[in-house]
Amino acid sequence: MTSAQIEIQLIAALVAIACALPGTFLVLRKMAMISDAISHAILPGIVLGFFITHDLNSPILIVLAAITGVITVVLVEFIQKTGLVKEDTAIGLVFPALFSIGVILIAKNANDVHLDIDAVLLGELAFAPFDRLLIGGTDFGPKSLWVISCILLISLILLFLFFKELKLSTFDKGLATTLGFSPIILHYGLMTVSSITIVGAFDAVGAVLVVALIIAPAATAYLLTDDLKRMLVLSCIFGVLSAILGYWIANFLDASIAGSMTTVLGLVFLLVYLFAPKQGVLSNFFKERQQRIEVSLLVFLLHLQNHTEEKERHVNHLREHINWHKVQAKTVLELASKNNLVKISENIVSLTDKGQEFTDEALKYITTNKVTAIEELKNRFFLFRG
Amino acid sequence: MGLSEFFTDYTLRNITLGTSILGAICGMLGSFAVLRKQSLLGDAISHAALPGIALAFLITGVKDANFILIGALISGLVGTFWIKGIVKRTRLKSDTALGLILSLFFGFGMLLLTFIQKMPNANQAGLDKYLFGQAATLMEEDVWVMAIVTGISLLVLLLFWKELKLLLFDPDYTKTLGFNTRFLDILITTFIVLAIVLGLQTVGVVLMSAMLLAPAAAARQWTNSLGVMIVLASIFGAFSGVFGTAISASQDNLSTGPVIVLVAAAFVIVSFIFSPERGLLFREIRFRRNRRELHLKKTLTFMYHIVKEHDNISRPHAIRILNNFQGYTRKTLNKLEDERFVRIEGNQWSMTQEGFNEAESIYNQLGNKND
Repeated sequence: MTSAQIEIQLIAALVAIACALPGTFLVLRKMAMISDAISHAILPGIVLGFFITHDLNSPILIVLAAITGVITVVLVEFIQKTGLVKEDTAIGLVFPALFSIGVILIAKNANDVHLDIDAVLLGELAFAPFDRLLIGGTDFGPKSLWVISCILLISLILLFLFFKELKLSTFDKGLATTLGFSPIILHYGLMTVSSITIVGAFDAVGAVLVVALIIAPAATAYLLTDDLKRMLVLSCIFGVLSAILGYWIANFLDASIAGSMTTVLGLVFLLVYLFAPKQGVLSNFFKERQQRIEVSLLVFLLHLQNHTEEKERHVNHLREHINWHKVQAKTVLELASKNNLVKISENIVSLTDKGQEFTDEALKYITTNKVTAIEELKNRFFLFRG
Repeated sequence: MGLSEFFTDYTLRNITLGTSILGAICGMLGSFAVLRKQSLLGDAISHAALPGIALAFLITGVKDANFILIGALISGLVGTFWIKGIVKRTRLKSDTALGLILSLFFGFGMLLLTFIQKMPNANQAGLDKYLFGQAATLMEEDVWVMAIVTGISLLVLLLFWKELKLLLFDPDYTKTLGFNTRFLDILITTFIVLAIVLGLQTVGVVLMSAMLLAPAAAARQWTNSLGVMIVLASIFGAFSGVFGTAISASQDNLSTGPVIVLVAAAFVIVSFIFSPERGLLFREIRFRRNRRELHLKKTLTFMYHIVKEHDNISRPHAIRILNNFQGYTRKTLNKLEDERFVRIEGNQWSMTQEGFNEAESIYNQLGNKND
């Protein structure tokens, strides 16, 4: 590994962490799309800043662009307040307009601006190590490394200082207000930090992919945990993982680093989306199937209890009577006998004592509308689940 | 550039026709997106179409506009239904789902595009025009495709007009009436995706969402009827296309997509401010007028209370005593004099019989309301 490679990975990892922190709160506050709006709308700010400073890493440019980001948020909220359009339409109207102004500004001054539209959308992480911070002739490493480190440090300090306020206002805005924390200050504070982070990450990963770095790690972490601190840590881990893996994939394919970082994030999200233990699609699928079979089982037991005559309890008759498919009837019957709830002699099904007891209790809960208690009941009686 | 040249120049005519048709179809279908609170879906879909464009090129190896369209359509649809899946199956909210799919698909698309650019295959150049769009590359065939798709979607819209309208405003009721809401939902979503994919070549991935939203949001301000809104939105969209093309053609270095978006944004701003029913300007004027009237009435009733204590209602009083009263200004006093409710002589005022009657009726009305 050359030192440039190490530097690129370091910058990518720091950008990922810096984005994941505000991202977690944006996802929890249902404001994820505002990051998309900010990341596009800061373009005119960046272009104007570039006219003034001629340096993408200058602090003035970052401040100017961050102000544009906050203006975007204010503008969106102003349009939302007029009630003329629905909330998300306001976002969708503001940022393309601002972005267009930025694109036109770049195009009109294409000759004297060293700012490429592709770079705006994509960023160019590969070139980051070439722009170095030189103080008195001494090399202090790449400029963008310093920029993103400062931004990360600031957001970390703010996070530690205002953690409980942020947490409270995120989950219970009303309570936060009654306790005297100003939700408006916290809101705009978060927006400012997000804007600064987006600007800082902008020239590394570009306008659209910074959105991926903000939303994807947080969303993935949210599917895995209910704990805010754990979610923050997890999203940082996902971010760093995607930065490093993404770098090597890009290296291998000779393609955009930012693009491959996002692709790694996408794959991680896909895996978690499918296989997460509680929230995942597969686990939900199995949970639903289990529920369906167990409900069928309960219906089956109630039917048995209601009918003493043998004709009603014949295996073949049950199939017709309750109108189940053959497979389902078999599954339910097997489950019932595995749990010792029924016994079958000469194709006649009858409840065992245990089955009788279970059905009685379940019936009691159903008639008194305490259906949730049945879950506990199942835990007590079932040896095998559906 | 002269006006005649504008209509005779082959390329320019194609671009103008193309952008105006595009504007019309976007306005038409965008109205549904806006009313269904799916405004940002367009943004997500247009970004999600990018990997489809790249994959279509990778698989077929040729830069054929139709293959690329189909690739974009498939990838856009996959993105859309994944968004719906995320919202339905997990606890992630729709904004997160939109942002996720938007950025992840786009990132994957960029990975593929940069990968393609490095390939020895020479004719790949120009795929990145889909990022910002290049209206200049519009061919006559493209315009025909747009016109045909617009025709089909118009037909479908007319065919399913009442079902779609019902679905828009009361999905539950639609379901209870026995309509297949799932089918209708997929139908309208597919057409929205189709409109977006059509626009990618012209205005590009990033700005496509504005094409969809802006005309509809502008049209919404002028009417409360769905039919009128859709027609208006199509007109606004078409005009944005024409004006945007004209402005960008008249100057160098001005890409068409962003200019069209800015023209559409101008339509939105004008509608927000000047629409007679909902517009900010008239709302403010109405608000001010009501407040002034209220002040006037309040001042008059206050005077009435003073005057009532005396036998002669026209007995003069000092203007000074009104000073403590909130809502009193010199202007309201003059206004009251204009209406002949009071007479002013020097720094004294007196009430006329008319003013007394008016104040009494206001007072009685208020009293009755309180009962």
